Amino acid sequence: MKTLFAWLLWLWISLVIVGAFYYAPQAEGFQDGSDRILFFHVPMAWASFAGFIAAAVWSVRYLMTRDLRHDRSAHVAIQLGLLFGVLATISGAIWARIEWGAYWNWDPRQTSILISLLFYGAYLALRGAVEDPEKRARLAASYAILGLVVTPFLYWIMPRLTFSLHPEPVVNAEGKPKMQSEILQVLLASGVGFTALFFWLHSVHTRIQALAERKSAEME
Amino acid sequence: MDFSGGNLGVVAVNLIIWTGIFLWLLRLSRRVRTIEETEKEP
Repeated sequence: MKTLFAWLLWLWISLVIVGAFYYAPQAEGFQDGSDRILFFHVPMAWASFAGFIAAAVWSVRYLMTRDLRHDRSAHVAIQLGLLFGVLATISGAIWARIEWGAYWNWDPRQTSILISLLFYGAYLALRGAVEDPEKRARLAASYAILGLVVTPFLYWIMPRLTFSLHPEPVVNAEGKPKMQSEILQVLLASGVGFTALFFWLHSVHTRIQALAERKSAEME
Repeated sequence: MDFSGGNLGVVAVNLIIWTGIFLWLLRLSRRVRTIEETEKEP
């Protein structure tokens, strides 16, 4: 069953790749070809956001149950959220080089994703600084729950408060997508595929972490 | 879907990279499952 799901995911993302180049038309207002990055950049930023929010939810569950499995899940979600966030930042910078002429422009969206990456980088630093597992989990959970406020503010609110060169988000100020339906279809399919990939990676990484913790406990 | 144009090389490279990541992840997942099953045995 799990293998079938994995192969379906392979097929799904492969179709997204083909669809991004051959099904979706050239988006208006973009230089030729630069809009293709959109189909990977936006879902990676979305997966990063979903990971940070999921980490906050697991942290709440940890504080309610004191079950270290939830702490482990939150930790892995933040590691992967950072990975997807860095990939979204790099792909965004490549796009910015084509459209704006420079990789980094301190655009509100670039700045807000950078602050969010630093915020979660500090989470990892915090975990590394505390030896006691219970105390570490408690502190890390409290910090990750702050993300429930910080992440939506940085991803959704701050970039909308100031003038930005960034293209309109998928759901714009009018509350509805304003793009050709083929582009929207591929973008949504890509979002689903990247979210599934995120949670598959999360499952594998969490299990590896559990095995490593068991081994180190046996050795002590 | 119009398959004409010069994107074939880019699509092929993307598919190769994605398939490589996928196969690595699938193999890793299987290895983790094997270790978990070995550890469960008395």
